[in-house]
Amino acid sequence: MPGSEENTIVSFRHVSMQFPGVLANDDVSLDIRRGEVFALVGENGAGKSTLMNILYGMNAPTSGEVWVKGRRVESFSPRDAIDRGIGMVHQHFKLVPSFTVAQNIVLNCEPRRGIFYDFAAARKTVEKLVDEYGLQVNPGDRVEDISVGLQQRVEILKTFHRGADVLILDEPTAVLTPKETDELFSVIRSIVREKQMTVIIITHKLYEVMAISDRVGVMRQGRLVAVKETKEVDERILASLMVGKEVLLSALPHPDDHDDTVAVEVRDLTVKDNRGLLAVRGLSLKVERGEILGIVGIEGNGQSELIEAITGLRPIESGQIFIQGKDTRGLTPGKIRALGLAHVPEDRLSTGVSAKADITDNVVVGKEKTPEFSVAGIHMKRGAMKRYAQKLYEQFDIRGAGIDAQAGELSGGNMQKVVVAREFSYDTPVLIISQPTRGVDIGAMDFIHQQIMQKRNRSCAILLVSADLDELYRLSDRLVTIYEGRLTGEFTPGSIPKTEISYYMTGGGREEKK
Amino acid sequence: MKGASRRSYLISLFLSILLALVVGGVLMALTGHDPINGYQQLISGTLGLFDENGFNICVWNDRGIGNTLYKAAQLCITGLATAVAAQAGIFNVGGEGQMYLGALGSAWLGAQLSGVSPWITIPLCLLFAAVCGALYAWVPAVMKVKMGINEVITTILLNTVAIKFCTYMATGPLKTAERGINQGTDAVDKAFLFDKLIPGSSLTESIFYIAVISLIVWYLMSRTTAGYQMKLIGQNERFARFAGIPADRLAIIAMLISGAMCGLLGMFESFGLWKRFRPDFSNEFYFDGMLVAMIMRYQPLGIVLMSLFFGVLKMGGAAMQSQAGISSVLIQIIQSIIIFFMAAEEGILQNLRARRAVSAAKRQTVKEG
Amino acid sequence: MDFASIFNVSTLLNTFNTATIVILAGLGCLMTDQAGMMNIGIDGMMTAGAFAAVMGSWLCGSWVMGLVFALAVGLLFGLFYGVFVIRFKSDEFIIGVALNIFAVAITTFILRSIPGQTGSFHPATGAVVKMPSIDLGFIAGTRVNLSVMVPLSWLLVLLCWVMLYRTPLGFWLHASGEHPESLRSVGRSPERMKFLGATLCGLFCGLSGAYLSISYLSTFTENMSASRGYVAVACVIFGRSNPPLVFLAALLFSLIDAVGQRLQGVVDPTLTSTFPYLGTILMMVLLALRNQAKKKRAA
Repeated sequence: MPGSEENTIVSFRHVSMQFPGVLANDDVSLDIRRGEVFALVGENGAGKSTLMNILYGMNAPTSGEVWVKGRRVESFSPRDAIDRGIGMVHQHFKLVPSFTVAQNIVLNCEPRRGIFYDFAAARKTVEKLVDEYGLQVNPGDRVEDISVGLQQRVEILKTFHRGADVLILDEPTAVLTPKETDELFSVIRSIVREKQMTVIIITHKLYEVMAISDRVGVMRQGRLVAVKETKEVDERILASLMVGKEVLLSALPHPDDHDDTVAVEVRDLTVKDNRGLLAVRGLSLKVERGEILGIVGIEGNGQSELIEAITGLRPIESGQIFIQGKDTRGLTPGKIRALGLAHVPEDRLSTGVSAKADITDNVVVGKEKTPEFSVAGIHMKRGAMKRYAQKLYEQFDIRGAGIDAQAGELSGGNMQKVVVAREFSYDTPVLIISQPTRGVDIGAMDFIHQQIMQKRNRSCAILLVSADLDELYRLSDRLVTIYEGRLTGEFTPGSIPKTEISYYMTGGGREEKK
Repeated sequence: MKGASRRSYLISLFLSILLALVVGGVLMALTGHDPINGYQQLISGTLGLFDENGFNICVWNDRGIGNTLYKAAQLCITGLATAVAAQAGIFNVGGEGQMYLGALGSAWLGAQLSGVSPWITIPLCLLFAAVCGALYAWVPAVMKVKMGINEVITTILLNTVAIKFCTYMATGPLKTAERGINQGTDAVDKAFLFDKLIPGSSLTESIFYIAVISLIVWYLMSRTTAGYQMKLIGQNERFARFAGIPADRLAIIAMLISGAMCGLLGMFESFGLWKRFRPDFSNEFYFDGMLVAMIMRYQPLGIVLMSLFFGVLKMGGAAMQSQAGISSVLIQIIQSIIIFFMAAEEGILQNLRARRAVSAAKRQTVKEG
Repeated sequence: MDFASIFNVSTLLNTFNTATIVILAGLGCLMTDQAGMMNIGIDGMMTAGAFAAVMGSWLCGSWVMGLVFALAVGLLFGLFYGVFVIRFKSDEFIIGVALNIFAVAITTFILRSIPGQTGSFHPATGAVVKMPSIDLGFIAGTRVNLSVMVPLSWLLVLLCWVMLYRTPLGFWLHASGEHPESLRSVGRSPERMKFLGATLCGLFCGLSGAYLSISYLSTFTENMSASRGYVAVACVIFGRSNPPLVFLAALLFSLIDAVGQRLQGVVDPTLTSTFPYLGTILMMVLLALRNQAKKKRAA
């Protein structure tokens, strides 16, 4: 009989989830207790989100049972899950940008007067929620105009408004500043204490698990490999459970042999974002050959705009950018690449590959007019292209259905290898790399890290942007922190602990945040 | 397209055509016609007569074959014109207008240059027709690339403008003084006209030009670096820009080529069948070719082959109308039904595949459990 | 030719009459646009509606039945569009183009299979009953006769605005277009809302067709929408899918049309008939330029 313990609120019994080609959940059985904070940890693709999506009714499991509050779940849909008191805040927020905070919170259970939406009542409802839970938001603001942290509050209030007593948070801190994270955690503690809520938090940040949870479940390759009381474990134990082996990554030595030639120079750069607001404000930096400069910052502080400006994908407002000593002003992305720059973009699906094109097309692009692959830049040499693609396919250990398969059919890690294979094989003196291993499994990550180090040791100048502090610490020779479009500090990885650098990521060292 | 996906595509295409023909037959029956007779007339009007059994063609219809080839060439060049632009991610729905301007421009020039050697005149007229068509395609292309204005809407609106403008010219300022002609420009000098290849049919020497143009376009699209770059733009514009491909310039060039092809077709019509510009020369030719291109997913070789099939349908439709009294618009209905099926093909197949995968997985886990 | 002879009551009347075609089609188009679908098949939906209205009116001898026929056919086309674009995830552009060709072909086919009818519909027996109109008497020397559909279309503009911006249903419709997952995650199917959008679009296009064939005119001619559906799409882009703005865009388009007709004494009528199309393109260019300038000025 499921729910053997009296205070079990959610129970998974032998749940499996098969997607075409992927067994995302493999015979998972798990009980969640009423009133606890349960952390679910695991690598990307370990099946955490899939399991929680089943609980929230987004997917029906292929086999197995789910019990909520002593009742077996018969029909899987968000609507039914909401009725059962389950609320979920997804990693990518499900908010309508042009709607107001209030409109979003009451979406699909709007207060009405007759057939009309009752603006005043919606406002009052939100104000009441704000008072009750202490999560400050302004009901009249448009969601597209407020910060990510506030958007997350809107998402949480949305679930409370629907009467949720089981709250699922999917990677809630990925986009938050440390201060916002602290605030979120104090909210979680208070709702668990005062409202007897149950919170399930999906994360891969282990110190957060230690800070907030009562119990922790570890997932690996679709299976639940351990469930522990948090006080009985530490981060090292969890890490080895997640990965399945003690040592995760090979060591990367940083031989100090770089020359002082400046390959990338940015002077007083200002750039606007898509909404026309200043995203980069008077930023200057230099990257020398044979070094990796890591940019540390919370996402959305101008990193993307900075990279797009350097690579010519975004116009600059003022300032100058020099690649190999040449001013890039007014040059197209193609001409900037010709100065000796290659770029691994942050979003591989929309920018990094052409999902509908085959792997050959994806790795050859940029070289199609060279004598190697064309006659006089006009006639394509298909045979040479295919041979070249096959060579890279093997060299970069891409695992898929061969070079004629569409790039979109590859897994995230292999797709990223396609991007790295193409960009690294241009043999340029400058590499701009964004989020090189996001959503990539450990094996591919280690491989890509080694490729990056090889490039550095062959005196490439590398500018690295990543949301992953461990990655930045592992690879960089120098680190600079970015906050609201400005650099706030410069360090070497050895000179400052990770916990301290976050002070600079949030505007410390320059001015206190209002 | 490769291997399995090509095979499933061809099977779907075959089934779609079959189904559409069945729907066409049902429509014939509903309006009191004999579907078998209707389709027989369609074949005999294009390819030849059936023997007594009604299965084998025993007398080949030269005139019908000529007309069919003429129509197929028209579909082929318009289809490729659509494909060149569409592959580069820009939709030229304005071919009709570009064709009108090419037809009017070249006919006017051809009449002006009466008496000059055809060796000079014909190349000049070809050039002028291509320029007229290309310029008219350039306008919406620039508006799309530089200002982000939806090119589908602008090209369609520009069609109406061009047709009305050409009609005005042919009934007003450029109207011929010849007797008995209400609308039309002065006749093109006989020396410049394309000769008929099969007497009594509409097939003229222009088919050789069309063959050459098609060959060039096929080569451009599938064998050159420019074609490769255009294809990448059409597949993922962000990626193409990111990889340094000059997407704006290539999109405009693709549109210029597309427009030039339409302009040239206009000239072939003026210098072939009609001997002058007549504002009623086209019955929305371009849209027929566009449908062919859409059905074949902008694959150049497929477009050429499908043009032959649709040439038979189109010309046979005329025979059906005169011999069996079935309106030729039935062919358009059949065409659009094929498109509906083909556009839905991927979606339907995906649905089926997903369902099969889930049930297979269920079976498996049940077995294991 | 002086100002008064170009801008007079009759020009204005003309403007309102032709605008109604575009307004109704535009309301249809914006319903799909709000739900995140760019429907360029509304031209075909209008043609089908116009044909159905004439048939209904002629067969039953009543304009009400004409309207019912048109709405039914519009509904059918809307659902058809929905099945392909939403259910089968077909390319909305291809479906739109094919729908336009299909609608013209099927109506022409049926028309021609009625004995003695080609080009346009002129029944030997019976008649096409027109919708009633309101006689407003003489205004400034011109007899003003307004179809009931003209004020009705204005009312519909208001109703659509209220629906979209003042009722939960409108919010859901918009959410299904702007961020479908937000709707799904609160337990409402965005696909259903998109279907609602497609259905409403079909109904409005049917209405527009009915107005065109049994009120504005009283016959059906092959391909009678004359690309006005595309003009409506342009107006929706111009009016950012907001009913009152789309309404104004449609009025502007029709004013150009009407003024063009007034100028026919001076300029060739074939030329003046290009004005509304050129005007629409010009409107789109101006809008794009304004947006670009706005972007530059921001921040």
